[in-house]
Amino acid sequence: MASSGASFKSGGARRKATKKGLVFTVMIVGASGCGKSTFINTLCENPVILRKDHADAEKAAQLKTIGLAPTTVELDEDGLKLSLTVVDTPGFGDNINNEPAFEDILGYIEHQYEEILAQESRIKRNPRFQDNRVHVLLYFIQPSGHSLREMDIEFMRLLGARVNVIPVIGKADSMTPQELNAFKKRIMEDISHYKIPIYDFPYDEEEDDEETIEENNELRSLLPFSVIGSEDEVVISGRRVRCRQYPWGVVEVDNSKHCDFSKLRYMLLSSHLHDLKDITHDVFDDDDEQD
Amino acid sequence: MAPPAAPGPVSVGIANLPNQRHKIVSRKGASYNIMVVGESGLGKTTFINTLFSALMRDYKRPEQRFAKQLDRTVQIDVVRADIEEKGFNVRLSVIDTPGFGDYANNTDCWVPIVQFLDEQHQHILNHETVPNRKTDDLRVHACLYFIQPTGHTLKPLDIEVMKHLCTRVNLIPVIAKADTITPADMLAFKDRIRDCISTHNIQVFTPAVHSEDEDATRRNTSILAAMPFSVIASENDVQVNGQTVRGRQYLWGVAEVENEAHCDFKKLRNLLIRTHMHDLITTTHDHHYETHRVAKLTASGRSDDDPALQARRGFEAKMKEEEAELRKKFTEQVRLEENRFRQWEQKLISERDRLNEDLDKQHSLVKQLEEELEEIIAARKR
Repeated sequence: MASSGASFKSGGARRKATKKGLVFTVMIVGASGCGKSTFINTLCENPVILRKDHADAEKAAQLKTIGLAPTTVELDEDGLKLSLTVVDTPGFGDNINNEPAFEDILGYIEHQYEEILAQESRIKRNPRFQDNRVHVLLYFIQPSGHSLREMDIEFMRLLGARVNVIPVIGKADSMTPQELNAFKKRIMEDISHYKIPIYDFPYDEEEDDEETIEENNELRSLLPFSVIGSEDEVVISGRRVRCRQYPWGVVEVDNSKHCDFSKLRYMLLSSHLHDLKDITHDVFDDDDEQD
Repeated sequence: MAPPAAPGPVSVGIANLPNQRHKIVSRKGASYNIMVVGESGLGKTTFINTLFSALMRDYKRPEQRFAKQLDRTVQIDVVRADIEEKGFNVRLSVIDTPGFGDYANNTDCWVPIVQFLDEQHQHILNHETVPNRKTDDLRVHACLYFIQPTGHTLKPLDIEVMKHLCTRVNLIPVIAKADTITPADMLAFKDRIRDCISTHNIQVFTPAVHSEDEDATRRNTSILAAMPFSVIASENDVQVNGQTVRGRQYLWGVAEVENEAHCDFKKLRNLLIRTHMHDLITTTHDHHYETHRVAKLTASGRSDDDPALQARRGFEAKMKEEEAELRKKFTEQVRLEENRFRQWEQKLISERDRLNEDLDKQHSLVKQLEEELEEIIAARKR
């Protein structure tokens, strides 16, 4: 499995990475109820994010502030240790007026860049300093079936300039295959119409090999990824399957015909991890430094 | 006199009144207005088209989305249709609210909707005192509020809007796109929503449970237990086990619209059309319209114990008093006059009697003298 990152890593760097473990930060943003927390738990194969306290009816009407709390999980990907930091954003898009939320999230991302800058400018650097820069932001789109909403457009446009944004359709099991395809097409049309910058698997015609180009094209055609999350496992014909059970059928999370979850996971944690990190360090950070 | 015979059971035909009403209503038809409120993409248009098995509204055309309105308001769209079934006509109006909840800042997005509802009530109120009272009745009989299937609980926007709507219209909350939630999650979700609704004192439409008919009572209890209704909508027919049903075809199965185990669409349709349509129409008039009317009239200064009315009453009382006094005076005067006349009469009578007496005396004197004369004449002759 050729990954665009493997070609970059030479022997020595790889050994170092294996020993120290890779560090990767993912931020998940989207309106409440899109399946973000379930997605994180499915991705990490562990109940990382605990269920919110929804039982309090009084709190339902109150103004919600965005809680940005990073959680770190140690994963093992094909022998490579990965220290994955996930930043969930509960409360985003829940209020009647959601415009203040944009500033909060943008502020958090910029703060991380500032910290790194401050750290690097020091004479005596802190060896245990944790790099919290957000490498990729997964933006969850509600499965309305129509097209992007105003909030989606504004937010992605604002943040696409500072971080890698990958649009994701949450709760994709609410759409039939035809609806899903039409929805994906319309979203991509919206993205190009409003000139929203997203991470669209760039490749270099000259440098990268054919396999990489093909892979990137395939992934690009799947944008935005449709995901279904589930923490429940059921045994179906002898194998343990993560799925959601409905009276009319069973939806499997890891079945690539049902949703793009497995491809997204592979892309995030294996094949394109380094590419995402590189872009964050080189492109976005550079912008910051020049300021 | 013999006591009248006790009346036995006589059928004069008053039990025929429901039949007469039935004939009148069948002939007149009904006017039914339903409003759908909710964010875009929740399946409102599909639901309306499925509910009446007819294409009531066209879907939004995706090519037009780039020419979107920039002023970020909520519009009110009214679609009318005349539906006929077995000779009974319904003038149906469906009121959609595009733009609701779609923006980043949704403050006051419920104001156009509330204004529309109030305007309809006010329109009817204004027409109460106009010579020609026939007018288009666009008062909303049922408002379906579509809740996003987050699986969590109600959002602040939902709570705020429902609070404003429930006092003006029959509010029926509906969980949209119910095929996103597994059955166990759905029960928990409904519980949380019901909890939220009761905590914030939102008056949703609750059909009366008890009725004489046992079947109806059972049906109503099951309807009440299923609120808020979970809804799947589809206009496409798919094949399931050789049968054609309305449903959504997924790779992993078919979610059927009319299957009670999949969603509550059938219950909701029964409530809206089959069993409680009349109830919805009458509560709109008897309860919500009256509430509006009372509010508007007390606001404009008129009330049952109005000061002007009270003054009028006081004046009337005074009038009555004065009238009574006048009458008394009048009767007094009449009595006095009568007395005077009587006395005069008495005097005249006594005068007459006296004169009569005198006359009699004279008469008797004359008679006496005549008799003396006779005697003298008789004595001379001898």
